[in-house]
Amino acid sequence: MNAGHGILAVASFQLRRLLTPQRVILAALGAAFPAAVMLAVRRIAGHLDRDFAVVLLYALLPEALCLLGLLVTMCPVVADELERNTWQHVAVRPWGRWSLLLGTFLAAVSWTATVALFALGLTLVAAGLPGSGRLAAVFAALILVSCIGRAALFALPAVIMPKRAIVASVAVALVVEYLAGFLPAVVNQLTVSLRLRSLLVRWMGWERALPTELALLVDTQPAWVQIMAVVALATVMLVAAGVILARRQFPPAEGS
Amino acid sequence: MIEAAGLSKHFRAADGTVVKAVDGVSFVVAPGEMVGLLGANGVGKTTTMRLLATLLKPTAGTARIAGCDVLADPLGVRRRLGYLSATTGVPDRLTPQEVLESFGRLHGLEPAALTDRVPALLDALGLTSCAARPCGRLSTGQRQRVSLGRALIHDPPALVLDEPTSGLDIVGARDLLDLLERLRGEGRSILISTHRLHEIERRCDRFLIIHAGRIVAAGSRAEMAAAPGGLEGAFFAAVEPGAEL
Repeated sequence: MNAGHGILAVASFQLRRLLTPQRVILAALGAAFPAAVMLAVRRIAGHLDRDFAVVLLYALLPEALCLLGLLVTMCPVVADELERNTWQHVAVRPWGRWSLLLGTFLAAVSWTATVALFALGLTLVAAGLPGSGRLAAVFAALILVSCIGRAALFALPAVIMPKRAIVASVAVALVVEYLAGFLPAVVNQLTVSLRLRSLLVRWMGWERALPTELALLVDTQPAWVQIMAVVALATVMLVAAGVILARRQFPPAEGS
Repeated sequence: MIEAAGLSKHFRAADGTVVKAVDGVSFVVAPGEMVGLLGANGVGKTTTMRLLATLLKPTAGTARIAGCDVLADPLGVRRRLGYLSATTGVPDRLTPQEVLESFGRLHGLEPAALTDRVPALLDALGLTSCAARPCGRLSTGQRQRVSLGRALIHDPPALVLDEPTSGLDIVGARDLLDLLERLRGEGRSILISTHRLHEIERRCDRFLIIHAGRIVAAGSRAEMAAAPGGLEGAFFAAVEPGAEL
């Protein structure tokens, strides 16, 4: 028996759930939105400053689109099973709860990253910036790092309060990522947003040009340290979520 | 073998009071035996079954499934137990074949093992003709068979079935119970809960009557049949002492 089969089975099942016409249309609209914003800005401004376009890309893709995508794919990991009365059938398998968590994580990251990468392609075309190939590589990496870190972050509220997971995840995103993440203190070392900003600044070569007050909001460690920090954060959060989920008990009225 | 020893589960209600959903339940279901767990709604049947299935942890006591303790070896229990809940919860968009394959993989079975196991199970459940039809387009009885197939995919020696005939018509219920008798004939231990006494009074080898979280009566089919009013009389005598049928 192999637990890996279970994770892949859940991931494949969750991706099939996402491949309904309605979900695909929603994803296409989500992917088109950043390009529409970029086009609108370009039309209004007449000329698009490259650095401004990069900041806008950053706000729209690894931040907004990835967060929204993960909210709808990762947050319902337990709530969906409870609602569809399939929780107990998954939970009675030897590694069912871990497979559910990790398989859903895999599906959420794959789905959201794919949508965001499509959006990246469209938005770069809409922006019409020189050197788009390098920007595409930078943002593809940022999207992947964002998806891995944020999906793991949302796993925690999803298993702790499954029936209010989306509300709790939005609160976590606001408080942890966008409040604590912008505090120039030790606490922001534990946020994905600090690592993403630092990667953006490093890969765009903006370190020296940053004003002092903005320099406080980024970490000067090398890119691999930032990536490993996100991987470590994601691992810790997934393990914590898995341990909590493995111990969760839903009384018959909730779990049936 | 399914064994429960002093199994208890207490929940804390919203007002802080302790609710004894299951209170010191003990019984044994031997291999090749089908035992009916009878009780009204809300008396502890589902909680007992969920304790056996490791979905809940006992407050006190323990249980063993095919020799594995629910507290000490929950993974061993899950490998040896087939569990069917009162609600089917079969994914509408998947076909019976896909459901069985998915749950087989979720159980950690190798793809090669599933290649043989899934068609054989579909055949045994009478689902071959609709194996490629999405579950959302199946009848309630067929969906319940898919759900049973999901519980049997790993060929477990013990089955815990929580109201498996719930929602089925008389023909569907008969067919499902026929199938369970065949599974019993293969030497599996089967614990089946229901409050529809007439369906299982001639099917089970023994009966346990649960009320307010406790086993209030137990006996073989012959003993229950010999009681005034048969199984139904024994049931009411146990849950409403002094009441006449």
